Amino acid sequence: MAPHAALNTQDIAEKARRDLLQLLEGVRGKKNLVLEKSLADTLSLIVKTSTLREYGVDKFYFLENDNVDSSQRNVVFLARGEKAKTVIAIAEQINRLRRSGQVDHEFSIFWIPRRTLVSNQILEEAGVLGEVNIAEYALYFIPLADDLLSMELDDAFSDLYLRRDPTATFLAAKALMLMQQRHGLFPRIIGKGDNAKRLADLLLRMRSEVTAGDASYSNGASSLGLTPSSSIESLIIIDREVDLPTVLLTQLTYEGLIDEIFGIKANQTEVDSSIVGATPAQAPQVSSASSSTPALKRKIQLDSSDTLYSTLQDSNFAIVGSLLNKVARRLQSSYESRHVASKSTAELREFVAKLPGYQAEQASLKIHTALAEEIIKHTRSDIFSRILEVQQNLAAGADPTSQHDSIDELISRALPLPTVLRLLCLESCVSGGLKRGDLETFKRAILHGYGHQHLLTLSGLEKLGLLTMQAGGLGRPAAKPGTVTNYSAVRKNLHLIVDEVNESEPDDIAYVFSGYAPLSVRLVQCILQKQYLASLGSSRATAAAAPPPQSAAQGWRPFEDVVKQVKGATFDEAQTGEEKAVRARQALNGSGGGESRKTVVVFFLGGVCRAEVAALRFVAKRLKEEGVGRRVVIATTGMVSGDGVVGAAIEKKTFGGA
Amino acid sequence: MAKPTADWEKVGTRFYRKVQLYTAVFDQDLELENYLVAGAPYSGALALHRDEEKVHAYRGARAAKPSIDVYSCAGKLIRRINWEKGSIKGLGWSEDEKLLVVTEDGTVRCYYDLQGDFVPFTLGHGAEEHGVKACRFWSNGFVALLNNNHLISVARYDEPRPKLLAIPPEGEIHSWTLIPPAYTLSRSVEVLLSTDKTIYVIDASDSEDRNYSEGPFVHMSVSPNGKLVALYTNNGKLWVVGSDFQETLNEYDSRSKTMPKDMHWCGNNAVALAWEDEIHLVTQGAATKYYYDGWVHLIPDVDGIRVLTNDVCEFLQRVPDVTEETFRIGSTSPASILLDAVDQLERKSPKADDNIQLIRPNLSEAVDACVKAAGHEFSIHWQKQLLKAASFGKSVLDLYNSDEFVEMCETLRVLNAARFYEIGLPLSYEQYQRLTPEKLIERLINRHEYLLALRISEYLRLPSDRIYVNWASQKVRQSTEDEESICRLIVQKLNNKPGVSFEEIARSAYDEGRVRLATELLNYEPRAGKQVPLLLSMKEDTIALDKAIESGDTDLVYHVLLHLKKKLPLAPFFRTINSRPMAMALVESSAIDQDRELLKDLYYQDDRRLDGSNLLLSEALAQEHPQARLDKIKLASRLLQDSKENAFQLKMLDETARLLRMQEHFDKDLHSDASPAGMRTSGPSFVGLSINDTLFELLKSSHVKRALKVQSEFKVPEKTYWWVRLRALVSARHWNELEEVGKARKSPIGWEPFFNEVLGAGNTRLASTFVPKCTGLSPRERVEMWVKCGMVGKAGEEALKAKDVECLRELREKATGSTLSEIDKMIAQLEPRRR
Repeated sequence: MAPHAALNTQDIAEKARRDLLQLLEGVRGKKNLVLEKSLADTLSLIVKTSTLREYGVDKFYFLENDNVDSSQRNVVFLARGEKAKTVIAIAEQINRLRRSGQVDHEFSIFWIPRRTLVSNQILEEAGVLGEVNIAEYALYFIPLADDLLSMELDDAFSDLYLRRDPTATFLAAKALMLMQQRHGLFPRIIGKGDNAKRLADLLLRMRSEVTAGDASYSNGASSLGLTPSSSIESLIIIDREVDLPTVLLTQLTYEGLIDEIFGIKANQTEVDSSIVGATPAQAPQVSSASSSTPALKRKIQLDSSDTLYSTLQDSNFAIVGSLLNKVARRLQSSYESRHVASKSTAELREFVAKLPGYQAEQASLKIHTALAEEIIKHTRSDIFSRILEVQQNLAAGADPTSQHDSIDELISRALPLPTVLRLLCLESCVSGGLKRGDLETFKRAILHGYGHQHLLTLSGLEKLGLLTMQAGGLGRPAAKPGTVTNYSAVRKNLHLIVDEVNESEPDDIAYVFSGYAPLSVRLVQCILQKQYLASLGSSRATAAAAPPPQSAAQGWRPFEDVVKQVKGATFDEAQTGEEKAVRARQALNGSGGGESRKTVVVFFLGGVCRAEVAALRFVAKRLKEEGVGRRVVIATTGMVSGDGVVGAAIEKKTFGGA
Repeated sequence: MAKPTADWEKVGTRFYRKVQLYTAVFDQDLELENYLVAGAPYSGALALHRDEEKVHAYRGARAAKPSIDVYSCAGKLIRRINWEKGSIKGLGWSEDEKLLVVTEDGTVRCYYDLQGDFVPFTLGHGAEEHGVKACRFWSNGFVALLNNNHLISVARYDEPRPKLLAIPPEGEIHSWTLIPPAYTLSRSVEVLLSTDKTIYVIDASDSEDRNYSEGPFVHMSVSPNGKLVALYTNNGKLWVVGSDFQETLNEYDSRSKTMPKDMHWCGNNAVALAWEDEIHLVTQGAATKYYYDGWVHLIPDVDGIRVLTNDVCEFLQRVPDVTEETFRIGSTSPASILLDAVDQLERKSPKADDNIQLIRPNLSEAVDACVKAAGHEFSIHWQKQLLKAASFGKSVLDLYNSDEFVEMCETLRVLNAARFYEIGLPLSYEQYQRLTPEKLIERLINRHEYLLALRISEYLRLPSDRIYVNWASQKVRQSTEDEESICRLIVQKLNNKPGVSFEEIARSAYDEGRVRLATELLNYEPRAGKQVPLLLSMKEDTIALDKAIESGDTDLVYHVLLHLKKKLPLAPFFRTINSRPMAMALVESSAIDQDRELLKDLYYQDDRRLDGSNLLLSEALAQEHPQARLDKIKLASRLLQDSKENAFQLKMLDETARLLRMQEHFDKDLHSDASPAGMRTSGPSFVGLSINDTLFELLKSSHVKRALKVQSEFKVPEKTYWWVRLRALVSARHWNELEEVGKARKSPIGWEPFFNEVLGAGNTRLASTFVPKCTGLSPRERVEMWVKCGMVGKAGEEALKAKDVECLRELREKATGSTLSEIDKMIAQLEPRRR
């Protein structure tokens, strides 16, 4: 019964790596690896291709391409087992290989994150269950950064809100449960949103089931593991559905804009090599041997291994230029200092030792300058500012009809569909739906502009609750309170719009959207930064003068009323352990010793966007400065962006046929 | 009390001891020589099966019935399994005491408890045709040898996958054995075959000749740690070689004319050769012989050999180092002196203290040795004596960590309890360490020794849920009481016990046909998910569905749904899921990929017209043929007819069909015009484009009339039309037409876009013509526009009109040549008054 270990994301990555290699080792000899496309990037976060080769992987195939051949006797499938579609595809490929059969294949399937009953059933029906070795690869959280854990479930958003398939919720519960088993119970689970509530209920339920003592659970982690954690303070669950407008807005941080313009997947972005120059020859980054990547793209790793990037990523793009300048000048001067004549050999040696660092920094500086220039091309364009203007006006609560002409024009100018849909959805979200007439006009304009197949897109958006008709209209009952966010109230009370934003020395999270503070993060602030948020209410100048003593208020207090205005269920559960165990633990930890640096886990169900991550990091930094020793770890089902959110509904086929 | 050294024998340089475990093991009538005997590892149960090939005395019809008898080591019959399944070619045990029975036709039964419950599987790979000849077992798998010399391995019993090993050479096999996978380089099982004069090593992919010429070998045996192989030649010589066959380590000539019937390793250091009533223990080229009155069987274990006769069960092992050190006659080790000191103490002799003083510097070492030696001792008397010595020694020491002592006391209590003849598990200390206490408890459960199992698990602070569950399951199976009282009894006993799985108990009740009891018991199961499979097999489908939903595990829900879908007709199936939103969502989301017909039926039954129509629309998208597409769209719109709230949708569908038809016409008219041969590839097809894109393409290729027709047909707003036209003309660089358009007095989208787009395409001249038309803008903006076209002079005029000196000054910077002077003039026009 040692004190719970602090939450360390590196351990999670290490464990994931070990588990995978161990599984691969279990298959003797060379093997061909077949994996789902979406897993390729995920895997690259955990283990290098070269390491996989050391463990006998000969060739890589994508499950979707259905092209695995008989070049090796051993064939290993790595796939998520929750969807019947995947299972059927695997069964078919196994049968195909067996029929072609010159080789007597050995098949293995590693299900991520668990072996499902359905997969068993389907494999059995396909007559292959007896022919394959099946193992589980319990991959839940994958760290994207020190403070960012993602489950990398690409379909989580569309599953949860479009198809209403709660698989992601269940998997999230499992993942969090594992976290609890390692680090102890979250002493408090607090959150917002209907699905979030379901997740919290699942967690409570699973806890009681663990206490009831499932053999598979009690193995390893004794039931004593389920006492409240001493290293984690609370779990905050935010349902994506609670705050859709935030993702619909254009993210204005550096990382956010890279995501908007080039797209980021698994900490990598692919950029045309004409922009950043070709990949240096000696270092081919992680690239699966798919050969499907067009040669002209270059992959750029975006993570904390690049120190320059980690200083830039969360800054508002407006200041990235000057930051880059500063770095360039510093590099220049320190590089030039080598010419200074009077150098002792010791100094010289020191300088040479630093050289590789300079070179790396230089290279990264070059890349990011090129990227920033490319982004500036976008942000300077007339269309970008038009879009931004519409967004800001809508978010600030201007009369939406005043923006209709702009949107109309953007449609006529054949802007990419996701961009236009984001604007329409944003309007619908903040003003509780469009009027019938307006909605039909826009729908018609979308269909005319982008094709009639988007009838399906529009109905998908309606299901998602992104593009709806205003309640109280013909034949529609007025919305019940709690099912729709009252934006005008929330905007005022939670100060979503901050007029004066200091982008270079940000003083509020609103800097990530240049004036709009993401609601989701404000909700987190309701829990973590009560004083600050309250001080925003009183005039900002006097706030510092009269700081109320650190109130003992926990949970949502004193913001319950505002939070109620936001859509979805609100909950706040405390988890306590058995009294005896708790006391024993307290005795072990000594008094107050564990208070020093506790972790708050913020879980975004349905995805989080990069600007929100930046905002949360800002909150975490503030907490640290205030001397409240909390550490914030962000966890999510997957990273999302506005294009991805509306993209969940977009119909990809056209009437043009194949 | 007999000295512990009484049954020691020196073989080579080391002592071996024979510990008598039990006496009067088997009935005197039992003719051991006629039986196949297999013993489970770690002193587990014995399985006896009468060898049919041998004649035996007739003992009445009942006794003649073939059976497999499972005994404890003490000879207590645990279970008699009737056997009518044909000739047994392999009888063996796994590490966790599963009994494996392999018959000639290649069927295997895995008896997973000692109570006759089994899982069958077949070997395949030709076992049925050729017949199984023999089997060799290791801790969790076995290899079967067929009559055609093929070898089939099974490496696990929970999901058995018989695999054919590499094909060995033809010829008679004199003897064979295997090296367990844990000890081979390839980590897969390797089989050693003695054919002709040589030995073949066979694994999953290779068959390799080891090039021996001294064969044939009549016996081969691999040491428990897999490092050594003992070979017995047909001329009575015993060889010990490394398992890599690199070197011969030892040789021994038995000088025996008769072949031994058996050869096994005794630990890792000695080999035991068994004749009918004689055992030779060979090590380091020396041998000692043991003689018996009757037939002996050898049962090898990890650290020794169990010797079985009708009368006794003995354990033959090398004397452990600490034991030897402590008890060897004439030993002067500290432990031995400490032991003596206790003896003296009991006799109240002062020598006790002398002894202590003598070993004072090594006292803690002596205590450790005594504790360890106690562990290796089978006799309770000597265990006590040794522990006493340890305790005495440690009382003299100032500082001693007693953990090991305490632990050993606990262990010995457990071991003695297990060794008691009614239980019959004569575990040695080393075996117990390897087996682990948890597995011991499992073995006790299999023997239905619940009380002892409970006591031990309480004593060792181990989870006891398995014991309770097993007990209850047994109760359910065997009790003749009425169901209610059984349930009450079980619940009474098991409530508040953590970890108890009522589901499992309920399952055994159900298997036993006690459905009501099963249902009742299931209610006590706290884990909803756990209940589902049983509920399904109990045909409580809706309850199963509800429980699955309750658990939140979508996989379980899917599982139930798949089951239901197969079982129920559509209507009741839909009724079932209708009231359960999660089930409904899951059905929908899986059917969209797999079973669209089901979805259509579902929407129809549910009267969800919009969804149904959307489904048809997405099918239309998947159609290749235009007519098929239109048909689907028609179907989609028919679904929505006469429903008011879908009027818009209906209108749009109608539009879709009209557009598609129109586009087809365009394709036919425009593309086949150009090339009569029907080369439809001459231009991009219109079909599939949106209305705006259609307009764009038409205008681009100057089909204005058709474009206007599209505009009026679909009521494209004027603004949109202008924008599309602008973009189309610019992209096709139809400057003249743009100029024409520019002659219009008013534009619904203003003239600024014209300026921007044209300028963006690089035509500054044309762009500039739009500047004066942008009357809505401020002069400053217009100046800017002129400058963008490179017409600073015009810009100056504009500024002059607005009387903006400031602006003119700025322009002056940009101006060159004649324009410069012009600007100067303009500035002068505005300035003079100030001068």
